[in-house]
Amino acid sequence: MKFPNWNQLAQVGEQALGQVNVIAGRMLEGTLRLGVTGLRRSGKTVFVTSLIDNLIRGGRLPFLDAVASNRFLAARLRASPDRTAPRFPYEKYLAALTATPPHWPAATTGVSQLRLAVRFTPGSGLRRSVQPMATLNVDVIDYPGEWLMDLPMLNQSYRDWSALTLELMERQPRRQLAARWLHWLGTVTPDLRPDESLAREGAALYTDYLHACRRSQASLSLVQPGHFIEPGDLAGTPLLAFCPLPAGSGEHRAQSLGGLMNERFEAYKTQVVRRFFVEHFARLDRQIVLVDVLGMLNAGPTALYDMRMALTACLEAFHHGRAGWVSRLTGHEVDRVLFAATKADHVAAGQHANLRNLLDMLVSEARNAIRFEGAMVDTVALAAVKCTETVTTEHQGRKLACIQGTPLGRQRPTVLFPGNIPDGPDLFPENVSQPYRFLDFEPPAGVGRDGRGLPNIRLDQALNFLLGDYLA
Amino acid sequence: MSNATHQASAWQPPVELDMHHPDPAAAPAAVAATTAAASAAARAGEASGLAALAAWPQWSWTVPAFFGGVAALVVVALAFDATDLMGRSFAASYALGVLVVTVGTAVKLSLDEVISIRRLRQIDGLRAEADRLTRANGHGEALGFADTLGDFYAGRADLAPVLHTLGHTVNDAHSDAEVIALIDRQVLSALDQRAYRFVLTASRDTALATALSPSAALDVAIVLWRNLKLVREVAALYGARPGPLGSWRLMRRMLANLAVAGLADSVGHVAVDALGGSLAAAISTRLGQGMINGLLTARIGIAAMTLCRPVGFSPDNKPNLKRIRAELMSVPKEVL
Repeated sequence: MKFPNWNQLAQVGEQALGQVNVIAGRMLEGTLRLGVTGLRRSGKTVFVTSLIDNLIRGGRLPFLDAVASNRFLAARLRASPDRTAPRFPYEKYLAALTATPPHWPAATTGVSQLRLAVRFTPGSGLRRSVQPMATLNVDVIDYPGEWLMDLPMLNQSYRDWSALTLELMERQPRRQLAARWLHWLGTVTPDLRPDESLAREGAALYTDYLHACRRSQASLSLVQPGHFIEPGDLAGTPLLAFCPLPAGSGEHRAQSLGGLMNERFEAYKTQVVRRFFVEHFARLDRQIVLVDVLGMLNAGPTALYDMRMALTACLEAFHHGRAGWVSRLTGHEVDRVLFAATKADHVAAGQHANLRNLLDMLVSEARNAIRFEGAMVDTVALAAVKCTETVTTEHQGRKLACIQGTPLGRQRPTVLFPGNIPDGPDLFPENVSQPYRFLDFEPPAGVGRDGRGLPNIRLDQALNFLLGDYLA
Repeated sequence: MSNATHQASAWQPPVELDMHHPDPAAAPAAVAATTAAASAAARAGEASGLAALAAWPQWSWTVPAFFGGVAALVVVALAFDATDLMGRSFAASYALGVLVVTVGTAVKLSLDEVISIRRLRQIDGLRAEADRLTRANGHGEALGFADTLGDFYAGRADLAPVLHTLGHTVNDAHSDAEVIALIDRQVLSALDQRAYRFVLTASRDTALATALSPSAALDVAIVLWRNLKLVREVAALYGARPGPLGSWRLMRRMLANLAVAGLADSVGHVAVDALGGSLAAAISTRLGQGMINGLLTARIGIAAMTLCRPVGFSPDNKPNLKRIRAELMSVPKEVL
């Protein structure tokens, strides 16, 4: 009888153990769904592109703890687990940003998503002994910001929604913008037969009104329903052929225009909004809310007020709370929310603290509501792609902290003093017609060519808040 | 550049200052990037005299060569003079010779001491400045601090890579507090780990040696010598380079520690109770004493780290005794 060689046995055992480790590691792969929320033009697409690029290259994230402690190994793209959604065209957007001359990606028209696998060494020695290398899958989705405005409708009936929408229209500048639709509304009698062409006429005029709101000087944010502006693949379908009607226009009777509208509103809610929400937002773990504070300052007090209302309304749809292990097993709750003032590079760096304070002030209601639910909330002033340098110039005998960059649509860089952000609540001084002039900038030429990731402002701190504990 | 000047000043409407088409009314008098370029320029400012000379190409190497030559000549002359003085005083009388050598050594030592105390003061100043910048959280001043720190660590080959990385990482968008935090994380945390290892070794050394040493007098000597060595190691690591006498404050802390070492005999019993009496009771008093001494050494080391660090520890990276305590628990096993 041949006795087994103990060394050999030990070796086999070691190999088996290693294999178990690998399998366990794969089973233990964490997944994190990051919800990038933001109204239109708040910079979601660029943020996602910069996030992916910076995690892949890892050269500009000093404030991400895993990077700072040398535990961050690498990240790479993976196919999204949801095979039906289109892939986020990261390469295309990156190519646009790094082209000569560079340009910004076009506005997003549909949903796309991507999974990013981040490999890191666990921080705790105990976990490291089981799992020398851990993986975190970060799922991100991109979508038109207009669609976010649909979410508040989920909790509203047609009657409520109509009443709210019509109430908004009583004030300027909406009243002016809605003049043609309101005129149409005047010609419609409540008990009219459910006429398809009439419904379409109303919807078309209402859509014109929504477009006008967006394009107006005040750059209004509360624009519902979002698919009217950015229909995706629903263009021309009866789902989008409705509009609000005043109460008492027979919305509960089947054989009336009101009844038809009511029915379509409910169909829009269940087939478009609820589907969008359930597929993409219901299972979020972390959320970042991008807010274009500077754009709103440019547009004036009406825009700022409108954005505040829009933001508070759509954040109510999300499930915030403190994720314990029970809720991790049973369902998902967003346990960390970061509010970010984007495009922070449009002001001098010394102004970032004021920008953040202003954001604090703007989102205070939403922030308190989320905190009440138990989730952690923080605010930050960031720029996904840094396009300017802060420079100090002398102007009429005074030192001014200015920014230097190429404004959108121009060829040459210029030095600009965009106006300071006040550190108090008096945002719009009286008898100054346009106190702010925050220009948009072109991406700097040769950006990202050093292979360290797109230059950014505080993207690492945002990531550390959002992913840091998963990378521990 | 500071925030305060803006807030104090009157309302300034947005204005565009085009560098390329200077409008006489709105032309910027000077454009200075607040990035590293500005601080580099400031550093160059010190040597502006030489820079002016360097404007003539034929002077570029002759001027430094000339001054260097003169300096070398002076040093050589002084050395010859000193040797001559020593030789002559020994020739005159042996006592005089010893006196001259003693005085010379004392002068040299006190010069070293002055330099080392100056460096310690410099570190104190740096720490106060870092603290101020972090709390004010303005913008633009911390780059100067980073440069000062870079100069402070100029000759350190081991820090050159991290300082280089820091230069890459910091940009004009970082606020002062962020720059300080980056210095803390990228430059000083590497030093912290090395200092921590020194502390760990020293505390194990004291623990083991006092556990094994036969007499209390030897204990005191060992603790004194090892702590002195540890403090100098830690201080040298952070760039303080203390002389043989050390600085006042470092010494004071050590003396306090020694006073406690004398008490260790009585504390030993408490320690035995605390650590559990599973080990042989006879030797565990000695072991307990050793561990107390080890822990005290660790505290001295951490105090030295706190005093010699150019940026104060932040609440989340404060060194703690937990790991050292765990390490010391393994000492009895090694002794038995």
